[in-house]
Amino acid sequence: MKVLLCTDGSSHTVRALKMGMCIARAAASSVDILVVVERDREEEVRRLAEAAAADLGEAGVPVAVHRRAGRLAEEVVRQAQAIPYDLVIIGSRGRRGVVRLLLGSVALHVTEHAPASVLVVKGRARDLRRFLVCSSAGPASEYTVRFAGRLARALGASVTLLHVMSQLPLAEDALPDDLGASAEELIQRGSREGVHLRRMLDLLAAEGQAGRAVIRHGLVRDEIIAEAREGRYDLLVTGAHVTPGLNARLVDDLSMDILLDANHPVLVVR
Amino acid sequence: MGSQQGRRLGWKKLGLGLSGFLLFVLALGLMKEGAGGLAPLLRGRLEITNAADSMGFGWLMAYLVLSGSPVAAAAVALLSADALSSLQAFTMVAGSRLGASLIVLLVGLIYILRGHEQWTALTAGVLSLLLTGSVQLVALPMGLLILGRGWLNGLFVPALEKLAAGVNRGLEPLTGPLAAFLPDWALFVAGVGLVTLSFRLFDRALPQMRLERTDFGQIPRLVYRPEVMFLMGLAITLLTMSVSISVGILVPLSARGYMRRENIIPYILGANVSTLADTLVAAALLGDPRAVTVVVTHMVCAAIVSLLLILLAYRSYERAVSDALVWIIRRHRNFALFLGVIFVIPVVFILL
Repeated sequence: MKVLLCTDGSSHTVRALKMGMCIARAAASSVDILVVVERDREEEVRRLAEAAAADLGEAGVPVAVHRRAGRLAEEVVRQAQAIPYDLVIIGSRGRRGVVRLLLGSVALHVTEHAPASVLVVKGRARDLRRFLVCSSAGPASEYTVRFAGRLARALGASVTLLHVMSQLPLAEDALPDDLGASAEELIQRGSREGVHLRRMLDLLAAEGQAGRAVIRHGLVRDEIIAEAREGRYDLLVTGAHVTPGLNARLVDDLSMDILLDANHPVLVVR
Repeated sequence: MGSQQGRRLGWKKLGLGLSGFLLFVLALGLMKEGAGGLAPLLRGRLEITNAADSMGFGWLMAYLVLSGSPVAAAAVALLSADALSSLQAFTMVAGSRLGASLIVLLVGLIYILRGHEQWTALTAGVLSLLLTGSVQLVALPMGLLILGRGWLNGLFVPALEKLAAGVNRGLEPLTGPLAAFLPDWALFVAGVGLVTLSFRLFDRALPQMRLERTDFGQIPRLVYRPEVMFLMGLAITLLTMSVSISVGILVPLSARGYMRRENIIPYILGANVSTLADTLVAAALLGDPRAVTVVVTHMVCAAIVSLLLILLAYRSYERAVSDALVWIIRRHRNFALFLGVIFVIPVVFILL
């Protein structure tokens, strides 16, 4: 797995760098560290990047450090477009509301524009021991689940697959039994969601990772955030299902909403 | 062989649609003839003297005829005959929209009473009422303000007046003898009956839309932006002229009759705006500028409130509606309470 770590010396990117190093030690085949700095902090950030590179080098991970001047968001995207990374790791300041509207979000920009999976480090520092993988019913989820499975196995983390059923029965002869069922019941019944969950668990197993499935009922966004909070997970994993073009204008990008609402690190798999 | 059958079906549907339209025009003429004489009955015996009364009246009438459109058409006919004021016609139209959802609830209830233990069959009806009610809560005072200030007066196209006069002249040989023979109230009731029948003919004339064969088949799986679903609900209802039909069109998309709540909520909000298109046609055919203003005001207010909700407070609104829906259908007691409330409110309006 080729990993890009990014920092501009700010506290949240340093936190992301540290978490990225833990991931890289366990899962990376090579690492690039991108340092984007203004002149007055150049020396301090250079030392930080070199220390990180030395640390990873000692662990046997090949490392290269790239220095750039400019805006962090744009430089990270440029770097990710130039080299095919499997994973880009970046920190989030966690701006909300009007402040985010005015100043923008580096993490959102990178997640939207980088052609790679992006792990956005948010909230307190933590070890990634418990993954919550959001799985929508469809083939797009397969790559997400396999990617999460590989990463979890490398880190020795547990995986919970979450599928949210927000459907309402509109026809009077609809069979709403599934709309209150647990994951085990759905798998046993062989309903569409049950078959999907079974397949996702099999994909995880094929990656050498065990997992369990959870079903929640309600609004997708709310239920994902609620499960992440109640289950005390360390990493929320979701797929970037919205493709550019007309589709992006018509379909709600749930991964972006989750990224904004979550207080956990979020991995958007692409 | 198949194409011949298809052509025959096409002609049949065209015939049904044309008959429906002619019946609709005749019904409006009868309602207009009869409405003039109803003013003493409405203001005297029924005591429909203010905007709250007419709101409750429209609401209960829609329950009685199990449809909102005939009642809305009756409201503009009563306005046109000066049996109601503009404000009263406006609130009666609003009441008709609130009462229109009862049919969907009743279908669900009948399904349950026939022995099915599926309380979720009530979802569509409850959701429809919650959405219409919550939008009307703001749209109603907004509309009363707009009508009171006359901000949307003068929308009427003069050419429509000539059209209406022509239609009236054309109807004269039919409505004239009936008016001479029947009392006013009977003319009005016959008009309401015929307008209800005309909507049935329209429904049967509509082509069977099968969205599952198009890109829209993705709707049950993907969560579309609320703005997109709002516009889709608005456009499809404009074509079908009925919320229940336009929602019904979505149902076959999912083999199991399910739809994501993220999609269906803005869709119904859009459908609630354009469902008054038929009433707008009725107002134009009546040739009364006030009737056109009342209907346009209703549509504009519903559109503004829905769009504001979608653009500014959609997540909270969606959550509140979803929570209320789950609470209502969770227990029989909750549903009974909800049913009690939706019958008590229009009665309270009349008693005010």
